Amino acid sequence: MDLSYRMRLLIVLISIGVLAGGGLVVKRLLIPDSFGVYGPYRADAIVEAALVPIRHGTNASCFKCHPYEANIHKNGRHHTISCEFCHGTYADHVKNGKKTGTLPVKKGKEITTLCLRCHNTEIKARKEKVIKTVAMPDHLKDQNVKITHNCNQCHHVHAPLKYIIRAKQITGLMEAGS
Amino acid sequence: MDTAYSFAAMPISNYVFPNDLHVHWSMMIVLYPYITGLVDGAFIIAALYYLFDIKTLRPVARFSLLFALAFLCCATLPLLLHLGRPERNLNMLLTPSPTSAMAGFGYIYAVSMGVLVFIVLFVYRPDLVELRVTSKGWLQFLYRAMTFDSIDLSEDALVLDKKIIRFLVGIGIPIAVVLHGYVGFIFGGVKANPTWSTPLMPVIFLFSACVSGICAIILAYIVIRKIKGRTIDHRCIKTCIKTLTLFFILAFAFEMLEVFSHSYLRTGYHHMVEGLLNGPLADSFWFWQVKIGSVIPLIILGVMGIFNIKDRLYDFMAAVVSTILLLQVFLMRWNVVIGGQLMSKSARGYTEFHPEWFGKEGILAVIIVMVIPFIILFVFSRIFPFWTTGNETDV
Repeated sequence: MDLSYRMRLLIVLISIGVLAGGGLVVKRLLIPDSFGVYGPYRADAIVEAALVPIRHGTNASCFKCHPYEANIHKNGRHHTISCEFCHGTYADHVKNGKKTGTLPVKKGKEITTLCLRCHNTEIKARKEKVIKTVAMPDHLKDQNVKITHNCNQCHHVHAPLKYIIRAKQITGLMEAGS
Repeated sequence: MDTAYSFAAMPISNYVFPNDLHVHWSMMIVLYPYITGLVDGAFIIAALYYLFDIKTLRPVARFSLLFALAFLCCATLPLLLHLGRPERNLNMLLTPSPTSAMAGFGYIYAVSMGVLVFIVLFVYRPDLVELRVTSKGWLQFLYRAMTFDSIDLSEDALVLDKKIIRFLVGIGIPIAVVLHGYVGFIFGGVKANPTWSTPLMPVIFLFSACVSGICAIILAYIVIRKIKGRTIDHRCIKTCIKTLTLFFILAFAFEMLEVFSHSYLRTGYHHMVEGLLNGPLADSFWFWQVKIGSVIPLIILGVMGIFNIKDRLYDFMAAVVSTILLLQVFLMRWNVVIGGQLMSKSARGYTEFHPEWFGKEGILAVIIVMVIPFIILFVFSRIFPFWTTGNETDV
């Protein structure tokens, strides 16, 4: 093909124009149909999100089958904490009202790690009056207990002050009912 | 550092919101403005020659175009490494939203890439036509494509090339300026961050970009020519240094004016910004960026501008000052990007940044990302001749 230099440049220029125009066509093809119906997002995404199976329950879902724990939990300082926060997802345990799996129960040092997710002084997630925080192992030393102690050896995990208050009542440090 | 820390941050209980503990925009976001800045500065050098006819820059003009192109190829790499789902990056270009600043960068980047590629093709056309004749196989096919399959080197064609180059460089300057100004704007537009949210941000980024790009060209020119055992054009270095001096004075002045504005205006978050600069950033900002990285180069550049210095010493000083300024600009990016995120929105505490080694935003990744443009530059050197006998030293 014997074209002059100017002619070739013209072809390059037209090609760029065609590519840019083609890009706009491809852009139209690639944008999902429901995009922009309600706003700058895919409207179908709302329906899709609504169809995602629910994985979490409420504390009421757990209390139905666990009345003993429910009673302690509801009356303790942890009553606002969701069961799933420590025990895992409801959907991994119950499906259609039937037990399908066992949720892992934390034991030993795992419990201390779990407690410190919120109660660590380093984190300062909330103010001290909302979440009491401690530094480890200073707290164990201050309380004159063994440094190897786990949190649940003094604190009931569902009602952290249950045993503490009781102990104080027994030793007379605190009057019953205070 | 401890005294300064406690002085400014004493009433602060170092209370950091849990979502502020982690620095989300880490080292890759430091590299992103750094790399686009290098592109910008290198392009300015080429523009000074091709558009503003500063003839002494001829030895580095062609090289700086390739240098800019090599770095522009990698400009989005840090962003992609930062993304959790990099394969979705084009989605924002498909459905750009006026509230998403990043899509704008995508378009500006694409346009600047197109313009730069064509500038390189037209600038190198006479060489590419010659190489096409002597090459074989795939390389010949590449040269044919890059010369638009034309071997026309007539007077008429070359005059036309020159006009096209002037036109492309002419539109290339505003595009390059917008490209990097936009990067500054992306930070300046984050109104939730008091250290970034200032209209000065695009200006500061732009001038420091010019500084880093010019320094990179000076250093690369001197190093490559020394390694190859070729002569260094002293007049070219001198012009580069003069241009660098101008841009650096502007960049440094604006950097300091920004701090001055913060401290004079005393806006709501001022106590936090002051505490940040005098506390966690006391070393990297005041000592390294300002004292070592800015005041010393300013003195060296002053000496180079005022006194008569022997050519060899002048070139050596140029290399030294360029190295310091390249680090200064990197530190400036670091102090803005990482530093700006060290203060919590609680206005009562600062967090810390711990760079990791092996993550996709780690130190190793940073090194790899910075090496890739040089590999691309090496590949370019096999295709485009950096220097011809024509621009050896004479002008």
